[in-house]
Amino acid sequence: MDGVPTKVCPSDAVKIPERVLRRDQERLEELERRKNAKESQTVSEEKIGYFRAAFSAEKANIEDLLSSCTQTDHQKAIKVLEEATNKIQHLQKFLNDSTVFLTQYELRQAQESLQKLQGSIAEKRAEVMPKKKFAFRSRTAGTSLQPAVTPSSTEGQLQTDPGNSVVDSVVEQCGFSNVQNEILIKHSEEIQQRDVLLSHLTNCKVRLYGSPSTLHIKNVRGCQILCGPVSSSVFVDECKDSTLVLACQQLRTHNTTSTQIYLHVTSRAIIEDCHGVSFAPFNWTYHKLDDDFRVSGLDPKRNNWSQVDDFNWLAAGTPSPNWAVIPESERTSSWDTAEPKA
Amino acid sequence: MGLLTILKKLKHKEREMRLLMLGLDNAGKTTILKKFNGEDVSTISPTLGFNIKTLEHRGFKLNIWDVGGQKSLRSYWRNYFESTDGLVWVVDSADRLRLEDCRKELSALLLEERLAGATLLVFANKQDLPGALSKDAIREVLALDEIKTHHWCIVGCSAMTGENLLTGVDWLLDDIAARIYTAD
Ligand SMILES: Nc1nc2c(ncn2[C@@H]2O[C@H](COP(=O)(O)OP(=O)(O)OP(=O)(O)O)[C@@H](O)[C@H]2O)c(=O)[nH]1
Ligand SMILES: [Mg+2]
Repeated sequence: MDGVPTKVCPSDAVKIPERVLRRDQERLEELERRKNAKESQTVSEEKIGYFRAAFSAEKANIEDLLSSCTQTDHQKAIKVLEEATNKIQHLQKFLNDSTVFLTQYELRQAQESLQKLQGSIAEKRAEVMPKKKFAFRSRTAGTSLQPAVTPSSTEGQLQTDPGNSVVDSVVEQCGFSNVQNEILIKHSEEIQQRDVLLSHLTNCKVRLYGSPSTLHIKNVRGCQILCGPVSSSVFVDECKDSTLVLACQQLRTHNTTSTQIYLHVTSRAIIEDCHGVSFAPFNWTYHKLDDDFRVSGLDPKRNNWSQVDDFNWLAAGTPSPNWAVIPESERTSSWDTAEPKA
Repeated sequence: MGLLTILKKLKHKEREMRLLMLGLDNAGKTTILKKFNGEDVSTISPTLGFNIKTLEHRGFKLNIWDVGGQKSLRSYWRNYFESTDGLVWVVDSADRLRLEDCRKELSALLLEERLAGATLLVFANKQDLPGALSKDAIREVLALDEIKTHHWCIVGCSAMTGENLLTGVDWLLDDIAARIYTAD
C-alpha cells in the first residue's frame, strides 16, 4: 500500500519545491506510460488477430464434431460427446487466458459462442442419450460397481424455499437429491465443467467420474462420496457420518461432524462450525483421472490437504480441537467396491 | 463547510475512492479483485480477515477493501463501513440454496447509517456456470427494485473470464464521481 499521507495544509510554502519536482516527475511518468500504452496496443492487436483465428477454427471444429454425432452408433456418440465437451473446456481455458488483451466486445462475443456450443452439446446429449439408457450404461470392465436399485437422477428437482418462483423455475440442476440407500454414478459427459449439487442423501455411495466446475454437498448422512478434480471450490454444509474423497482448489466445510475427508486441495481447506472432521491425502484413482486433472486445471503436484483453517479457532499456536489428521494405519486405500448399505 | 464536505473535496482533489466489497463466503470477491488487477486467481484461499488493494483506474485512486464473508467474520464487517464511497455486493449466482441468506445480509447492510451515502453495485458473479441464475433473476430474488435509499445497479459477470468486471466498476466510478461533484 501507498504510505504517503494526504497533505491537508495547502498553504505550506516549504512544500512548494518538492511539489514542483513531483509534478515534473509525474509528467515524465505520464509520457512514459503513454509510450508504453501505444506499444502494447500494437502487440495486443497482433494477439487479438491470433486469438480470433484460433478461436473460430476450433469452434468450427467442434461444430463439425457435433454434427457428426448421430443416434445410430450409441457408443461412438458417447465418445464424440465426451471429446466435444473436452474441446469446449479447452476453448474456455484459451479464452480465460486471453482475457487480458481482449476487448470487452471480443470477450462477450467469444463467451456467447461458447454458450451456444454448450447449448448444442446439451441438445445433442438429450437427443442421442435418453436418460434411462445412460444411467444404466455398464462401466469400465473390471469394476463391480453395479447399482442394486435404480439410480434416480433428480435433475430439475431442487430443495428451495416454497414460493420462490424465480429460484424454482430454474434451468436444470445437475446432481442427485433426496435419495436413500443407493449407488449413484455420474460420468464426465454429464458433469464436465458443470456446477453439481448433491443434497439430502442418506446412506448412498456416490461416484462422480469427471471434472465439475464446482460442487455443493448439502445435508448428507452416512454417505461415501468420491469425486474427480473440481476446478474451483467444493462447498460442504450439514454433513454427518460420511466419507468424502475430493480434489479441488478450495474446500469450504460447514456444520459438519464425524466425517473423513481424503483431500487434494491446491489452495486451502477451511472448516467452520465443525467438529470431528479428519483429513488424509486424496488417494482415489480411476481410468481417466489424469485427463480430468488436466481439464480441471488443478496442479496434481500441489496438495495442501493438511493445512486446514478453522474459522472458529483463530488462536495462533494452539491447534484446533475440531479437526485431525487420519493416522496412516487407519486410512482406507481401496475405493473400488461399493455395496449399498442395507 | 462541514467536515464531510471538506473530506469529499479533498478526496475529489486526490480523485480517491474507497470501495468496500462484501458478500457471502465463496461468492468470488477475492477472485474478482485479483482478476480485475490482472493477478493469478488459481492460488486464492478463503479470506481469513481482509485484503486491501490500492489501484489506479481511469485516473482514480481506488482503495478496495475485500472482507471475508464466512459466517464467523460477518460481525466484523461493520469495522470497515466508515467513509465508504461504493459498496460492491458479490453474489454467487449459481448458489440458489443460499440466495435467501444473501438477500437478508444485503438488506441489513442497507440499513446501516454509515453506508447511507454509498453507491451499491451488485455483481451477479459466476455467470460462466451453466446453472447460474441470470442477473434479472438475482435482481428479483434480492428484491433490488425495492431499494430507494441508494443508487444501485446489477451487473452479471464472471471473475473466471473477467467478463463485465470493467463494466461494473466503470458504472460505480461514474456514479460516485457524479455525487462527489454535486457536493461542491
Ligand atoms: N466458475 C466460477 N468460479 C468462480 C468465479 N468467481 C470465483 N469463483 C470460484 O469461487 C471460489 C470462491 O472464490 P473466492 O474469491 O475465494 O470467494 P470470496 O467471496 O472471496 O470468499 P471469502 O473470502 O470466503 O469471503 C473459488 O474457488 C473461485 O475460483 C466465477 O466467476 N466463475
Ligand atoms: Mg475472499
